[in-house]
Amino acid sequence: MSRDTSTRRGARAQRPSSGGRWRGWLRHHRAMALDSARRLLRHSLSSLLTMLAIAIALVLPAGLWLTLDGARLLDAELDESATLTVYLQERVGDAEAGRIVEALAAHDGVADTRLITADEGMAEFQQALGLEDALARLPGNPLPASVVIRPDDPSPAAVKRLAGGLEDMAGVEEVRLDLAWLERLGQLAELGRRVGLGLAVLFGLGVLLVVGNTVRLAVENRRQEIEVVTLIGATHAFVRRPFLYSGAWYGLGGGALACLLLTLGGNWLATPIAALAASYGAGFTLPGLGFAGSAILLGCSTLLGWLGAWIAVSRHLAQIRPR
Amino acid sequence: MIAFEHVGKRYGGRFEALANLDFRVRRGEMVFLTGHSGAGKSSLLRLLMRLERPSRGRILVAGHDIDRLHHSQVPFYRRQIGVVFQDHQLLFDRSIYHNVALPLEIQGAEPREAARRVRAALDKVGLLHREKALPIELSGGEQQRVGIARAVVNKPSLLLADEPTGNLDPQLSADIMRLFEDFHRIGTTVMIASHDLALIARLRHRTLRLSEGRLVADEEAS
Ligand SMILES: Nc1ncnc2c1ncn2[C@@H]1O[C@H](COP(=O)(O)OP(=O)(O)OP(=O)(O)O)[C@@H](O)[C@H]1O
Ligand SMILES: [Mg+2]
Repeated sequence: MSRDTSTRRGARAQRPSSGGRWRGWLRHHRAMALDSARRLLRHSLSSLLTMLAIAIALVLPAGLWLTLDGARLLDAELDESATLTVYLQERVGDAEAGRIVEALAAHDGVADTRLITADEGMAEFQQALGLEDALARLPGNPLPASVVIRPDDPSPAAVKRLAGGLEDMAGVEEVRLDLAWLERLGQLAELGRRVGLGLAVLFGLGVLLVVGNTVRLAVENRRQEIEVVTLIGATHAFVRRPFLYSGAWYGLGGGALACLLLTLGGNWLATPIAALAASYGAGFTLPGLGFAGSAILLGCSTLLGWLGAWIAVSRHLAQIRPR
Repeated sequence: MIAFEHVGKRYGGRFEALANLDFRVRRGEMVFLTGHSGAGKSSLLRLLMRLERPSRGRILVAGHDIDRLHHSQVPFYRRQIGVVFQDHQLLFDRSIYHNVALPLEIQGAEPREAARRVRAALDKVGLLHREKALPIELSGGEQQRVGIARAVVNKPSLLLADEPTGNLDPQLSADIMRLFEDFHRIGTTVMIASHDLALIARLRHRTLRLSEGRLVADEEAS
């Protein structure tokens, strides 16, 4: 009987305190993070290829996102230049035109007005089109005077409402707004956003598959080890841990490569994009990832790698039963 | 410590590997399990490790019905049992030291304490000088002793061994049995499956004899 109690005491003494267990848990995390990194480095070429596959899957949606980000900046710039053109009736003389401009300037929602007299309009027209000769042959000036108005609120709906109000004013022939292409640009941006989101989901799934497949092979290679540690009391979490870390490392590496590719690609495309934008008179530049963007990309890719590993290991662990 | 209550085990629904086993093992007892090949010795030990579950009956270990353990509790149950496997189950890409340290690593033991215990266990089986070697560089008997060191490194209260002297020469077999007797002497409950009837007879411990899955003899030490 005395033997009994000593055994029981022995059994109790070996159980670590909760603080000790916590420290042991942290220690295992650190050990597995290092161990899985070491394993990746040992097969550096195949690890690099896996990371490259992840990077390629990330570059496309991230690149599209950056482009859209650039388009949004451009959008803001265009909103600034959203204007209405109020054409005055032909019979309106210069003096009356001045009065109308004052009335327009006093109208609700009008930020700024600029009168273009019939003559100025003609001159601008000729200059823009280079048709001096043909227009000079016309008997009189067919253009009416016009007022360019900058609205307070550049949103398409507000501009439309403002136009409706101005149309009823005395001496106003017609109000024109250049909203159609602004709206079209907005729709394009929305389309781009959706395509971007769809691609992000699709390629995110691709990353899961790439990591999942790599980790599945790793699990298969270490099957015996998994069986043995399960036999002597390892929890699923313990068995999973090294694989989760390698998944996270793959994701992190892939994310870093993607950042690199995006920066290189951005630099490569910067010159032609600037030239193209300049020819349209817009100052469009492809924005870089920046610190926050890089951090988000790295975070997402690491998380995806971890998740891919988790799915692969969990699916596999269910099949591994120690003999 | 161990109680089998009318335990039966069928594989694949019809083949009856164990039938109506009913016996108890007291805490601190040392028991041999014998029987012809295929009698069900390994099956019985696998039931105790909860690698298999009984088709009928209950198995109580330290008063708990191990069939009712939630699967998340099973690892913690296994940590209290030291097992020496018929085929060693060593990891061939790790040194002897790290093989023996594995159960402590799983439990998150403090490294300095772990090192002390690993060395003590290796010393006990006489392999302290080979701690840096890989299992592949060891003979079968030495590998078996590494397996024993790993089984006892966290001082389990129950020690199971499946053919620990499987294909060893008589001298080595006797040495290894003496090791188990040492653990028995410090209060560990020990259960050993073995073919080696001559050796068992000399050691004078309780012996359970299985035949075709049935308990045909339960002989107390004389
Ligand atoms: N997983 C399994 N599936 C089906 N049958 C099994 C399984 N494991 C064992 N058996 C059968 O159960 C019977 C008992 O096997 P067990 O391994 O327990 O015998 P043993 O006494 O350990 O034999 P040995 O001395 O050869 O190791 C055998 O007939 C075997 O074929
Ligand atoms: Mg067997």
